Amino acid sequence: MPCSLRQGMFFEPNILQPIAELFPAPPFGDPEGRGHAFPAWYAKPKMAAVATTLWLRFRCKLCLTLRGQRAGPCGQTPSCRFYSGSATVPKVEGANVTGIEEVVIPKKKTWDKVAVLQALASTVNRDITAAPYAFQDDPYLIPTSSVESRSFLLAKKSGENAAKFIINSHPKYFQKDIAEPHIPCLMPEYFEPQIEDISEAALRERIKLKKVKASVDMFDQLLQAGTTISLETSNSLLDLLCYYGDKEPPADYHFQKSEKSEELEEAAEENDEKSKKADHQFGVTWRAKNNAERIFALMPEKNSHSYCTMIRGMVKHRAPVQALNLYTELLNNRLHADVYTFNALIEATALSVNKKLEDKWNNILELLKQMAAQKVKPNLQTFNTILKCLRRFHVFGRLPALQTFREMKAIGIEPSLATYHYIIQLFYHHENPSKGSSLIIYDIMNELTGQKFSPRDPDDDMFFQSAMRACSFLRDLELAYQVHGLLNTGDNWKFIGPDHRRNFYYSKFFSLLCLMEQIDVTLQWYKDLIPSVFFPHSQTLIDLLQALDVANRLEMIPQIWKDSKEYGHIFRNDLKEEILMLMARDQHPPELQVAFADCAADIKSTYESQDARQIAPEWPANCLNYIAVLFLRAGRMQEAWKMLGLFKKHNKIPGNELLNEFMDSAKASNSPAQAIEIVKLASAFSLPVCEGLTQRVMADFVISQEQKEALGNLTSLTSDSDSGSDSDSNEGK
Amino acid sequence: MFPRVSAILALRPLSRFPSCSGGSEAPAAAIVLLGAPHGTVRTKNNAQRYFGTNNVIYSKKDEQSAPTPEISKETESQESVKENRKKDLLGIIKGMKIELSSVNVQTTRPSSRRHLKSVEATIARLQKAPEDVPEKRTKSLSPELVAAASAVADFLPFDKQTTKSELLRQLQQHEEVSNAQKDGERAKISVSNIISDMKVAKSATARVSTRPVHQIQFDEGTDNYMGQETDDLKKSLRKNMLKGKRLNIFDLKAVTEEAPETETAPSLWEVEFAKQLATVNEQSLQNGFAEMIQWTSEGKLWEFPINNEAGFDDDGSEFHEHVFLDKHLKDFPKQGPIRHFMELVTCGLSKNPYLSVKQKIEHIEWFRNYFNEKQDILKESGIQFN
Repeated sequence: MPCSLRQGMFFEPNILQPIAELFPAPPFGDPEGRGHAFPAWYAKPKMAAVATTLWLRFRCKLCLTLRGQRAGPCGQTPSCRFYSGSATVPKVEGANVTGIEEVVIPKKKTWDKVAVLQALASTVNRDITAAPYAFQDDPYLIPTSSVESRSFLLAKKSGENAAKFIINSHPKYFQKDIAEPHIPCLMPEYFEPQIEDISEAALRERIKLKKVKASVDMFDQLLQAGTTISLETSNSLLDLLCYYGDKEPPADYHFQKSEKSEELEEAAEENDEKSKKADHQFGVTWRAKNNAERIFALMPEKNSHSYCTMIRGMVKHRAPVQALNLYTELLNNRLHADVYTFNALIEATALSVNKKLEDKWNNILELLKQMAAQKVKPNLQTFNTILKCLRRFHVFGRLPALQTFREMKAIGIEPSLATYHYIIQLFYHHENPSKGSSLIIYDIMNELTGQKFSPRDPDDDMFFQSAMRACSFLRDLELAYQVHGLLNTGDNWKFIGPDHRRNFYYSKFFSLLCLMEQIDVTLQWYKDLIPSVFFPHSQTLIDLLQALDVANRLEMIPQIWKDSKEYGHIFRNDLKEEILMLMARDQHPPELQVAFADCAADIKSTYESQDARQIAPEWPANCLNYIAVLFLRAGRMQEAWKMLGLFKKHNKIPGNELLNEFMDSAKASNSPAQAIEIVKLASAFSLPVCEGLTQRVMADFVISQEQKEALGNLTSLTSDSDSGSDSDSNEGK
Repeated sequence: MFPRVSAILALRPLSRFPSCSGGSEAPAAAIVLLGAPHGTVRTKNNAQRYFGTNNVIYSKKDEQSAPTPEISKETESQESVKENRKKDLLGIIKGMKIELSSVNVQTTRPSSRRHLKSVEATIARLQKAPEDVPEKRTKSLSPELVAAASAVADFLPFDKQTTKSELLRQLQQHEEVSNAQKDGERAKISVSNIISDMKVAKSATARVSTRPVHQIQFDEGTDNYMGQETDDLKKSLRKNMLKGKRLNIFDLKAVTEEAPETETAPSLWEVEFAKQLATVNEQSLQNGFAEMIQWTSEGKLWEFPINNEAGFDDDGSEFHEHVFLDKHLKDFPKQGPIRHFMELVTCGLSKNPYLSVKQKIEHIEWFRNYFNEKQDILKESGIQFN
């Protein structure tokens, strides 16, 4: 019996499922699960067979562990062939003891090719101490700030693109197929049409390769030759022309540009750089009498598809008026539009200028009624388009939006994340925080909590960002936790969108935490999110500092400064000033003062060693004050006095409190010379505090006659200058 | 740190005060008294963040407490309540005099606390009541109220009657924000808004006017009621979002009806839309396994689960068909040199991964034909075949 033999001989795939469950950490030793196993004991080598032995050894160990735990967690997996005969069957057959064990042959299970990897991947948690996996590279290259991470990803991607470009533009050098079996995605792709003659097949090939211009040329040649082109082919040509707005598709998809055309383009770029920029910003605009319109007019017979694709193309490239006109033409020809066309028409209605909002809304309703009359079923995109357009109506759009939402619920179309995103935007985006705000987000979150999503609308990835913005707007931490919980349900985290949106989301979330959560919890989140999820902005760090201030946990500040240095905020003056201000504001116990002084020295060095950057930034007076005070309090007298020197150098004025504190310290060390130095400094800036300081010196210190005279000179100097100005003014009179 | 703490202290009695909705106009006077010191606190708005969680609760009240006196006026429609009311008002007025000297806001609290529950109950009733009835009632009542109110303070020179009817109307209104926005203008002259103006320094009138009705209910609760109230609130909102007028254009039946699907090749539009959708939840890789998944789907990596058939597609034929080829030897003699030879052939074939099952069988077939052709030679050498 071949099956029984197979049981003994085969490695059973099912066993990997329990293995994945048994090992919380990936089994390959590497904590990030970077280990590679390419088991290849079949005859064909694929990539690297080195790891095979490792895999086998690992398997043996697993068998041993499994044997011991067989009765435990894996008891219910019926298809484990090593043991099915002895372990599972007796339980079933136990009632009628016949002595003959019936062998139950389990059904063969087929697994998805990535099922095992998915199971293994689900066992790997985020490492909160490291940068995200995508950034792990040579330690020198690992990014530490959001700017660096962006350029890291761009560099990686552009490297890939460059390699692809080279391979695709010189396919003849990349013919050797090393991989066995063949790996198609590593081989050059062919984008050049193979059919040379003029025929409909050639046209179809060019359409398939998305060669807009070549297809149009071929169409014209065919027409001149008098060949009739089938409706299907001309429709797909129209599709191509309308989708790309009669322009070649963006080059970064294909890299099929030849060097020549690139040169030409560069030359052209200088000429119409402006128009091109505009094109890039808003996509391609629809030109009247373009190839699509021309071919559409030339077509001997047109069906509804031809009209529909034209309408969609016009709306896509912002020609709403033409689209609406074409729709009337379609109706006159007794044809029917499909749901996508209606969606486009709704957008066109909202896009049309010089119309009242009420009129626009009535036109949209009219279109919907036509849909119902023509028995066109609306889809998710229909309603999402309506809601998207209603966002432009601001406050007026709210009631219609709710009605639209109820309508879609009523007819059983499940809203997607984008639907809720539009509603949130409508209700919160243009809101002035001083006004009352809607509470609709509570309702939305109630509806969504616990759901898992799959992508259904291109805007689905905007939801979390706008929901968190609303939370931050409402200052509702509870709600923010709810949103965050939803984000962490299932695979929902994938909907957080690209990097900048994720940064936005987490910055808002963390600011809210700083504002409202207890400091210990906030710090926990800080550890958890930074840097493994996002790199903080300087504003985020300032928020955290303020939270620390409120909770009276200023001893954390040196640590925060260390972190902000790491995340590339060395040159953020507002952050540095906030840190210094918080450290210098109050007196602290000595050991903390020492730590603060170290931190201040570090910050000071960032102001001094700016050679790498273009210009040495201005020393703000506040910072000088704070740093001097911090040195003074930590007993680092020399450095503190140096700071006083810096005031002169940078022509900044020291604060009164600072001078008083210097005086205190001079008194503490009982050095009249220092005290007089301070008075000198004050008089040099002709500060009003000079007088008081002099009196203090006179009262508190034992000073020699000489020093007294010097003091007298100083005060008379200042009073001189005062009287001088007085006399000036007198003269003026 | 210290100035900030003092700010909280100043805020605390103040903000709690208006939530005692019982004494309708009375608090106004008290608040006005405190208006000056409070204003200074408020102008330092940047200090707000330092209050942490507490601040939010209190500031919420600041915003929302204003409507409560409005409601409280209507509750006086009940005769029984009315009597109590008057007494209370008088009591408050008396209390006010004490406050004038002591500026102790807390003294008025016990008397007004009692009303909280009854007020809530009446609100609930009022929301359902037809629009004109409460209006009449309040009209009959308003002179008394005005009289009482005028006793409280001289600095409320507004016409109570119009104010009240407007407030009532506002309560009955559907909570359309657009309408509420309009009303904000009119509501500005309401007493309660003056109160809120005095309290918050920065005008909060617009905010008050746009608050939906159900939220007033929510704001009634003190801190203890918070949890319970939010549940109610959410329920009432739920009604709002999901239940209500819809467009009524599409028919559920027509939409859910299964239309005969016409199989057509996806157009460029659909293909591109699918591509766009695929990018929506594209995220950078989370770990090494995720990367391996990507490589697998790109076809760069050997496919899991690992078995020795991976990457070997032979028209779905199974392993045993490759290995156990004996069954194809049925037509060969059971013993003898030919049998021996053929067993060696099948053994070799079973170990050959490069041939498909079909090719292997063809291979055996070839030998059968070969031996068939050589029948005469076999016979000559005395070997039997068939």
